[in-house]
Amino acid sequence: MSDWAGVFIFFVVALIFGAGGIATSFLIQPRRDTPLKLEPYECGMPTQGSTWIQFKTGYFLYALLFVIFDVETIYLYAWAVKFQSLGLFAFIEMIIFVFILIVGLWYAWKEGALEWQ
Amino acid sequence: MPADMFALTLPFDPSALTLEMLMAGLAMLVLILGIIVPKGARHGLGWVSLLGILGIMAVAVSLWGEKRELLNGMYLLDNYALFWKITFMTAAALVILGCMRFVDNMGNQAEYYSLTLFATLGMMVMASAGDFITFYLGLELMTLSFVILVCFRKTDAKSVEAGIKYLLLAGMSSAVLLYGLTLIYGLTGSITILEIGRIIAMQPLSPALVLAVVLVIAGLGFKVSAVPFHMWSPDVYEGAPTPVTAYLAVGSKAASFAIILRLFVSGLPGIWENWAMVMAILAAVTIIVGNLVAIPQTNIKRMLAYSSIAQAGYILVGLVTATEAGIKGVMFYCFLYVFATMAAFVVATYYYNVSGSDELRDYAGLAQRSPLLAAVMLVALLSMAGIPPLAGFAGKFYLFSSIVGDFLWLVFVGLIMSMVSVYYYLRVALVMYRDDPVDATPISVSSPVAVTLVFATIATLVIGICPGPLSEVVNGAAHTFFLH
Repeated sequence: MSDWAGVFIFFVVALIFGAGGIATSFLIQPRRDTPLKLEPYECGMPTQGSTWIQFKTGYFLYALLFVIFDVETIYLYAWAVKFQSLGLFAFIEMIIFVFILIVGLWYAWKEGALEWQ
Repeated sequence: MPADMFALTLPFDPSALTLEMLMAGLAMLVLILGIIVPKGARHGLGWVSLLGILGIMAVAVSLWGEKRELLNGMYLLDNYALFWKITFMTAAALVILGCMRFVDNMGNQAEYYSLTLFATLGMMVMASAGDFITFYLGLELMTLSFVILVCFRKTDAKSVEAGIKYLLLAGMSSAVLLYGLTLIYGLTGSITILEIGRIIAMQPLSPALVLAVVLVIAGLGFKVSAVPFHMWSPDVYEGAPTPVTAYLAVGSKAASFAIILRLFVSGLPGIWENWAMVMAILAAVTIIVGNLVAIPQTNIKRMLAYSSIAQAGYILVGLVTATEAGIKGVMFYCFLYVFATMAAFVVATYYYNVSGSDELRDYAGLAQRSPLLAAVMLVALLSMAGIPPLAGFAGKFYLFSSIVGDFLWLVFVGLIMSMVSVYYYLRVALVMYRDDPVDATPISVSSPVAVTLVFATIATLVIGICPGPLSEVVNGAAHTFFLH
């Protein structure tokens, strides 16, 4: 149980460390509110107009297709590095893997995911 | 360069994955056909999917009796897994055959059928899963396919709402489940269920393990919609397109039970006395709440949703004792539940196509408009209520006889609530048979639907009148469960 006691102490110290900072600043801070200070915190420029705007789904489709092929590269890279020792089985497996992805791309293409409207 | 570079050496025997590879191939084929075939001919995709499933089912039957373990127990192929796979494929075949016209009206047949097949593939992987990774992979494949299917009617706000609800709650329940699984992995150092069973049997019970088991029960409780984790199911069932609701109610639930049995009966038998009571109480609460809340429902899909919650409670009963008899009860009940639920939902789908309504009061006089639809609905509901000589009675008999010894109180809860359930099931019958229809034009039932309905009804009757043969098969399948 002594191993777990260490974890528990770590947990408690982490809690105190986090809560302590907030509590201290709450206790000793000077309270002088200005309109600027009461704004919700946001990085970047102040927003112009309504923030509830619609994005084109086209961006999303492109991002999705990009991620698929990005991940594919990760697998292909690992396979390519070890190509010599993995042999024919991995080669066939990779062909099947790429084939499945190509079917997906083909479908997306045919459904017009690559047309910018 | 090594000489044997192109020698085909396999790290495992892929023939044990025949069914899964065929199913994945079929799903891809349907998707590709959807690209190639012109729009007017796409209603044929349903037939392609159906014939494919029947073919894979034949292969599954020919594999009966095989017993293999792949990659140190990562993937298990035995009669237990095969029985579940045949159950899922039966459900998929019935839902495809029964609801083709509904799907044609929705459009996008290729996506619909290929997602249905991918969901089936996920269930099949779950039934064979021997470790957490395989299990989780199958679960997510199934759930994500269902999420898309649930919001398939993109222009219908209810359908989209149901889809988002299902996505969020499925994600949350998966997170809870994964947390439980990681705790078990942390405590045992293994992700293989059989290995975990051996390690846990030797360890004393630790608080972390209790937490892990509670989290796993909660996560899987969501998937089978056991009370108190059932809140999502009525909304999702009501909003989803009816064929999807049918498949969700049967397939997703059966697949979750397949893996719950593996996890609890072969993974956690060492601490059985600690979780048996939790399961018993969960089953009792699910049966009571499901049946009582079904009574005031006025929408047929919501009523069937609550009834399916109650059914999940009955099935949980089989898990309580963790014996072969209980496992047999669960498998038997899930198999016959496929027919009763599919029949009820196919009638609801067909009637929705005609009347555009899922409200119970619009079923008035259905017996005069179409005696077949009304009769099938009646048989399906009575089977769910457990009236002899229908299949539901035999199923409940096997489930409850497994717990008569130690959990007699649960038997009484089940019996009393079954009597309560007869009330709301028969209310549908009353509306269909007693009331006069507003519009008395007869409904003609198209032949694929008629075949589905007649087949499901005959299966319900035959299993009910002579449960012997199926019971033998299930016995054999439940027996192999313990042989690993």
